[in-house]
Amino acid sequence: MLVKVLAKSSFSSFVGALGDYGDLYAPVKTSEKVHSFKEIESLTDIDLSYTRTMIPPKKFFIHPEEVIFEFNIDEELYIEPPGGDERIVLFGVHSCDINALNLLAKVFTEELPDKYYLERKERSFIVGVSCVPDEYCFCHSTGTSYAQEGFELFLHDIGDSYFVRVGSLKGHEFIATHPSLFEAAEQSHYDSFKDAERKMYASFTNELEMAGLQDLLDMAYESEVWTEYGDKCLGCGSCNLVCPRCRCYDVEDHINLDLNTGERVRKWYSCMLSEHGLVAGGHNFRPTARERIRNRFNCKGSLREDMPNCVGCGRCTVFCPAEIDYVEVMKKVRGDLK
Amino acid sequence: MKVNPLEPMKAKITEIETMTEIEKLITIKLHDREYAESFSYTPGQFVTLGVMGVGEAPISICTAQNDELELEFCIRNAGRVTNAIHKLKVGDTVWGRGPYGNGFPMDVYEGNDLLLIAGGLGIAPIRGVLQYALQNREKYGDISVLYGVRCYDLMLFKDDMLDYFRNGDRHGVKFYLSYEDKEDQVCYGLACERDDRCMHGMVTDLFKKIDRPSKKTYAIIGGPPIMYKFTIMQLEKLNFRPERVYMTLERRMRCGVGQCGHCIVGTGKSIKYVCKDGPVFTLWDAMNTKGMI
Repeated sequence: MLVKVLAKSSFSSFVGALGDYGDLYAPVKTSEKVHSFKEIESLTDIDLSYTRTMIPPKKFFIHPEEVIFEFNIDEELYIEPPGGDERIVLFGVHSCDINALNLLAKVFTEELPDKYYLERKERSFIVGVSCVPDEYCFCHSTGTSYAQEGFELFLHDIGDSYFVRVGSLKGHEFIATHPSLFEAAEQSHYDSFKDAERKMYASFTNELEMAGLQDLLDMAYESEVWTEYGDKCLGCGSCNLVCPRCRCYDVEDHINLDLNTGERVRKWYSCMLSEHGLVAGGHNFRPTARERIRNRFNCKGSLREDMPNCVGCGRCTVFCPAEIDYVEVMKKVRGDLK
Repeated sequence: MKVNPLEPMKAKITEIETMTEIEKLITIKLHDREYAESFSYTPGQFVTLGVMGVGEAPISICTAQNDELELEFCIRNAGRVTNAIHKLKVGDTVWGRGPYGNGFPMDVYEGNDLLLIAGGLGIAPIRGVLQYALQNREKYGDISVLYGVRCYDLMLFKDDMLDYFRNGDRHGVKFYLSYEDKEDQVCYGLACERDDRCMHGMVTDLFKKIDRPSKKTYAIIGGPPIMYKFTIMQLEKLNFRPERVYMTLERRMRCGVGQCGHCIVGTGKSIKYVCKDGPVFTLWDAMNTKGMI
């Protein structure tokens, strides 16, 4: 791991240099409770003290709604829309979200690579930043409070400067082309980095015991907990939209008024909506909120992609209009709460 | 060759046979010869079949691989896409992606007896298994088929099925038929013709008619969700080992490649994608994957 140090006095030059790579997106406070990754016009818009954005950075790689083909019925053609060539910088991404993107990359690039995902990943530059957990964060439980990979640069706040980890060749090239911004890391910087990490780790107040959770979920299949929370759930699907790891999508064909041309559109979808398990003919494999919420928590708790499907960001709890607390549900599954 | 797995490939409808009021047998030929020649599949695999401007639906291929480079699908007019397919004529274009899923492991079954159990539309993938086994007759032991229909009018692949029923012994298959509608005169006639092979009742009632399956038998089930539970109860009574029972499942699917998330089954311990881990599973899989059946 290559390591550098960035003095906070060089911060504005650093952000300016990032802007040379592509369009710069960073967390911006958009209302009292909501932050959002937005395109940055002025340095002062950036709020690195944020805890979480409402919509996670997955929106840059799998768009909430996107045309995957244009079609022409008379000409019998499916045409892939031009991929675009805009390059983006995501600045200020937290470890949980970077780990979530790593999980998404597994699904969208490993077996049958999704060309839309791959192209966007190729044209992005991700800069992580360390954070301070709030009462909803539990990424230390899910093992995602630290990002090992999936970024170009990662900035750890160590007081007067940032301890910078270099995560990719692109990140290294950035440093090589802007040598005046960075200085070599000395022992004191490493010590400060370790101190900062230790302090961050000690400040978690929310916790979820993960050991054996997969078996416990399996054993809780007929548990009353699903009825209890199924009854509370409004079935709005917010938890899916704000989850950095949820990636279910629906596909729709939209035909134009000429009845000849149109678009095949892929859009984010939600397993909490009643149609998610519905098949033609009317049979629904997850007919009530009980089955749907059970499916969601089992999916989140699974190790299907070799790591938990939940990165402990707390978004589903914070933004649930029915105030369903993810950790509370899982604790009931564990039997820690009655 | 295509690089985008979501890109549909063009195909022409070469034949349409109306099988029942709601089911048609559609034969298609893939337009791109290179793609058609590389299109290799096993029974139980499926294709997402689509109509431009309407959408796509997962449909199982109901034949065994043949040299004609043609694919057959038994399509029930049950939803938006299948309704659109039903409106097409010979020569019209449909769009396909696939083949997807694992299919039945025909090589695993070699040297063993086969007990195929199908109800309703579930006969579609099972027909492919039967065709394959009969094309490679020497590789398999005894082959029995239990097919349950509601009534004669709703029987699928009538010509094939009646041929197996009447001349099955010549083809090397014992074919049993059950019908639910007691008033059905045609089925009653069949029962009079061979009362050892046809009866009124559910498909599970046919277990009374068959010889006790050997220990070297694989049971292979295709049918509506409700059928699995009752069929499996019968198989368990006959002491079938769970890894010797295979079944094919239906779920909502949008992608076919394990991305869209609709077909997910199981618990935190056992999450599976029906589209890529299945749609063919063993009873052992089902016992370890809650919610699968």
